[in-house]
Amino acid sequence: MSENKVLNKDLRRQIVDMVVSGQDGHIPSAFSVVDIVTYLYASVLRFDASRPEWPDRDIFILSKGHGCLALYVNLYRHGFITEKDIHAFCKAGGILGEHPDRTRIPGVEASTGSLGHGFSFAVGIALGLTIQKRQNRVFVLLGDGECHEGTVWEGAHVACNRELGNLCVIIDWNRSGMQLLPKDDLPGKWRAFGWKTHEIDGHDEGQISEALASVHFSTPGVPTAIIARTVKGKGVPAIEGHGPWHHKIPNAREYHMIIEALR
Amino acid sequence: MPSQTDAVRRQFADTLLSVGTADEKLVVMVGDISHGILQPFAKACPGRYFNIGILEPTMISMAAGLSSVGLRVVAHTIAPFIIERSFEQLKLDFVYQGLSGNIVTVGSAFDYSNLGCTHHCYGDFALLKTLPGVEVTHPASPAEFDALFRQAYADSHLTVYRIAGSTHGVDFRPEHIVLGKGIRLNEGKDLTLIATGPQLRTALEIREELLGNGVGTDVIYIHTIRPLDTDLILASVEKTRRVVVIEEHMRTGGLGDDVLRITRGVASVKYYSASIPDIFVHEYGSYEQLCDYVGLNSKAILVQIRAAGLVA
Repeated sequence: MSENKVLNKDLRRQIVDMVVSGQDGHIPSAFSVVDIVTYLYASVLRFDASRPEWPDRDIFILSKGHGCLALYVNLYRHGFITEKDIHAFCKAGGILGEHPDRTRIPGVEASTGSLGHGFSFAVGIALGLTIQKRQNRVFVLLGDGECHEGTVWEGAHVACNRELGNLCVIIDWNRSGMQLLPKDDLPGKWRAFGWKTHEIDGHDEGQISEALASVHFSTPGVPTAIIARTVKGKGVPAIEGHGPWHHKIPNAREYHMIIEALR
Repeated sequence: MPSQTDAVRRQFADTLLSVGTADEKLVVMVGDISHGILQPFAKACPGRYFNIGILEPTMISMAAGLSSVGLRVVAHTIAPFIIERSFEQLKLDFVYQGLSGNIVTVGSAFDYSNLGCTHHCYGDFALLKTLPGVEVTHPASPAEFDALFRQAYADSHLTVYRIAGSTHGVDFRPEHIVLGKGIRLNEGKDLTLIATGPQLRTALEIREELLGNGVGTDVIYIHTIRPLDTDLILASVEKTRRVVVIEEHMRTGGLGDDVLRITRGVASVKYYSASIPDIFVHEYGSYEQLCDYVGLNSKAILVQIRAAGLVA
C-alpha cells in the first residue's frame, strides 16, 4: 500500500476505461509508470506531435511494453493519436494493442513487448546520435522484472564503456521481479555497471523532476539510471501489489470501485 | 583453381573500406571477429567502427537502433551467434520494425569444422526464410560479395550475407552478378544441377562426369536465396524434368525445399537433394572431410542420383 498523494487520477481513469472497452490490458503495470511517463511528456521531452519524426526530438522508449496504456494516454493528451484511436484499443482496425508498435502508432519509437529489447535498441540509438553529433536525448523506461534479462546488462555494459551520457534509463522498481528473485540490489547493480544512479519515489513529482533535472546528457559522459520505487496498481488500494490484477479485466462492480477510488 | 579459404572475407574488408570511404552513413559493428582485417576501414572511417563486445543479441538490437536514426549498419560475427542466438533480435528489432541493415556472417554450415556444434550453423536459410522481406545471399567468390553488397547495402531491407569459408573457383563478371538472379553456367537438356555456395564446384564436377556419358546438364548457380530466381529454376526443370540441388544446409528448409515448391507442377519431375541430412554433425576433421561425411562430393552424389534414377 502506498501512502503518498495519488497523481494523474484522470489518466488512471482513462486507462481503466480503455481496459474495460478493449477487454484487455495491464492496469497495475500502467499505474506503476503513469506518473513517470506523464511527467516526461509534460515537462521533459522535446517533441512535436504534428511531426512525430522531427529530427531534433528526444527519444522515449517504453522498454517494458506491457505498461503501454500509460504511454497511450499521454500520446493522446499531447496530440499524437486521436480519441478514435483510444476507443479502438485492442479492437479490430485499431492501432493500439497491448504492446506499443512503432509501425502503427505516431510517436512510438520502438515496438516493444519482448523484454530486454527496447533498452539495447535505445543504446544503439544513443550511439547513433553520438556518431551523428546530434544533441537529442534518449530516455528508456525499464521494468525491474525486465532487468532479469541478460541483454539489459549487455546494453548497460556497452553504454558505460561507450560513454553514452545522452542516455537515461528509469527503472520501474515495483518489486515485481523480486517475487521471483528476491535478492536484487538494483541500484547497486547499475552502479556496478558504471552508471550514475539515483533512487527516487516514482510517484512523487518533485523527486521525478529533481532526478531528471540533474542529468547532464553530455557525450562523452556517464549514462544515468534512475531507480524509481513504485507501486504496481498505485492509486487503487484494492488492486495494488502483485495479486490477480496483473492482467485482469474489471467487471461492472469492480469498475465502479476503481473509478470511485480515483475520484 | 584451388579453393581460396577466407578470400570472400578479405573482400568483405576491402569492400567495406571502399564503400565506407564514400558513404559517411556506413557504420560497422563486429563481435570480436575480423578485427584485424577491418583496421583499414577503422582507420579510414574514424568513429564508425566498433568492436562492440561479445554480446551478439545486444549487438543486433543496437544495430537496429543505429538504423532507426538513418545510419547504414553492418553487423558481423560468427553465423550461429547472430542467426540462432540473436534470431529474436533480427525478427523483432529489424524486420518487424521495417528497419534496414546488413548482417555479414562467417562460419556458416560447418566451415569451422573442428569447433563442433556450437560453431556450426546449417539451418540459417530455414530460419531466415521465416522473416518476411529479408534478403539472403550466399557469396562464395570475392566478386559476388562486392557486387551483392554494393547492390543491397543501402536498400530498405535487412540483407544477410552468408560468407562462405571457401570459394567455388568460378570468376563471374561483376555485371553478371545481380541480386535475386541466378546464373546459368551451362545448358543441357537432360538434368538441372542447382548449386549454392562453394558447392558449385561439386556441380561442375558432376557436369563433367555426366558429359562424358552423353548427359547434358543445365548448371544453375544461386547466390541469392531470397528473393529467389524462381523463373530461371522453373524454366530449366520444365525442360529437363530432372533436378538435383546441392547445398551446405540442412535438408529441411534449404534451397532444395524451395526448388520442390517451385517445380511441384512439373509433370513427372524427379528430384534429389544433396544437402546436410537432418542431423547434428558430431564429427571432426577438415571442411572437406565433413563434406564427405554428409555426402557432399561429386562421387557420392553421382551414386545417389543414379540410384534414384535421375540419370543412367
